[in-house]
Amino acid sequence: MAGPAAQPGDPAPAVPEDSTPAVPAGPASAARRAVPAWTAWLGTAVRLGLAVVWGWAGLAKIADPAEAAQAVRAYEILPEGLVKPVGYALPFLELALALLLVIGLGVRLVAGVSTLLLLTFIAGIASAWARGISIDCGCFGGGGHVDASQTEYLQEILRDTGFLLLAGWLLWRPRTKFSVDGWLAS
Amino acid sequence: MDVKAMSEKNREGKRTARERMLAQREADEAASRRRKKLIVGGSVLAVIAAAVATGVVVQNERSKPETPAAAPAGTVGDKNLVIPAGAANSPAVLTVYEDPRCPACGLFEREFSPTVDQLEDAGKIFTNYHIVSFIDRAVPGKGSKTGANALACAQDAGHFRDFHDVLYRNQPDETSDAFGNKAVLINLAKQVNGLDMPTFESCVNDNKYGGWVSSVQQDFDKSSYKSTPTVLLNGQPIYPKNGTEEITPANLVKWVDAANQGKQLGTPGSNGQTPAPTSTASETNNPSPNAG
Repeated sequence: MAGPAAQPGDPAPAVPEDSTPAVPAGPASAARRAVPAWTAWLGTAVRLGLAVVWGWAGLAKIADPAEAAQAVRAYEILPEGLVKPVGYALPFLELALALLLVIGLGVRLVAGVSTLLLLTFIAGIASAWARGISIDCGCFGGGGHVDASQTEYLQEILRDTGFLLLAGWLLWRPRTKFSVDGWLAS
Repeated sequence: MDVKAMSEKNREGKRTARERMLAQREADEAASRRRKKLIVGGSVLAVIAAAVATGVVVQNERSKPETPAAAPAGTVGDKNLVIPAGAANSPAVLTVYEDPRCPACGLFEREFSPTVDQLEDAGKIFTNYHIVSFIDRAVPGKGSKTGANALACAQDAGHFRDFHDVLYRNQPDETSDAFGNKAVLINLAKQVNGLDMPTFESCVNDNKYGGWVSSVQQDFDKSSYKSTPTVLLNGQPIYPKNGTEEITPANLVKWVDAANQGKQLGTPGSNGQTPAPTSTASETNNPSPNAG
């Protein structure tokens, strides 16, 4: 049975006096309120976890610029002119993401950049695998050519996919405890 | 207009005023949220851009030049990255890329160094060594770099071939970083007549040719060769196979002789190194007790 159908030409129902009048903000804030409190705590753990990943990856690549450049060169994707800038900048970019995640500033944006970066890494590893070249991903330092028997493409892709899940969670639920974002919103 | 209608209209007026006020407040809040978002987003992007720019500048500053500021005496090549052995006027050139820590290089050296030394002493080959140092990137330690520097120091002192052969006869396991210990390297130098000198010791201890070692490695990075040992005879890869033929000491001699056919041999002699052994038998690896 159909409910009471709205008659054509009926005026739009007036907003009841006791409800929040702003229509666009209404459902959004209701949804936000519906997020259980524990997700913010879980979000903090995810945020710090991803920060550790970026921090570790960045620090491992920073000591030897030539090594970092060679890790990039070994993918045989970028032209020689971009090998050094990318190899030199990448650890600093990773450390910047780690820092932003630790303080919790712009979490959704940082999670977005993290996602893009991880997708780039996964694509690079998959491409090396598909082209049959033998390299270490250089994800946490090292990198460059290795013996064909020592490649670990699947493990590297699965590991990065795990990190991708962390970034994806923060993209979906960027509100976390102990964050600059939270402090700015309050 | 009656009273009832009046109050009705009044109430409506009040409601619209309240709605307007609430809508205004809502719009203000939305604008403030947008502004905050822009500031936060802008700050995040600024931090990222600053990090990228800093990385390029700082790492460029920290990286060692591709052309070394100082190279060991007697090195050859356009950037002096190559250590030669044997007479330069020998008809064949043997090119060897090897890392002091690389186990396959140790196997190659212990099997072939007597033969290579003999071919050099007979004026048949001029060997060009590229002492690379990339095992340190994959295996914890710094023995590739300190070992390569010690080899550069030995070249400077005129004892490269002898010290090179001693190092590979005393090569630790790849996972052991014995060559990262400068005392071990200096101790091994005692097995080479005339090398155990204060200048050699200070050269090793001060990592005098560290920049040169990095340049040699960067040159290898940019080359098309991906592993060590890479061994070329007149530019042709011969390790582990020359075409379909497996490398052996006898085959190496055969290939060199074939390449040299009809050519004038170079000046014979050991060029200040210990003359090559008469046997072509493989040498054994005896990592010294303090190289374990």
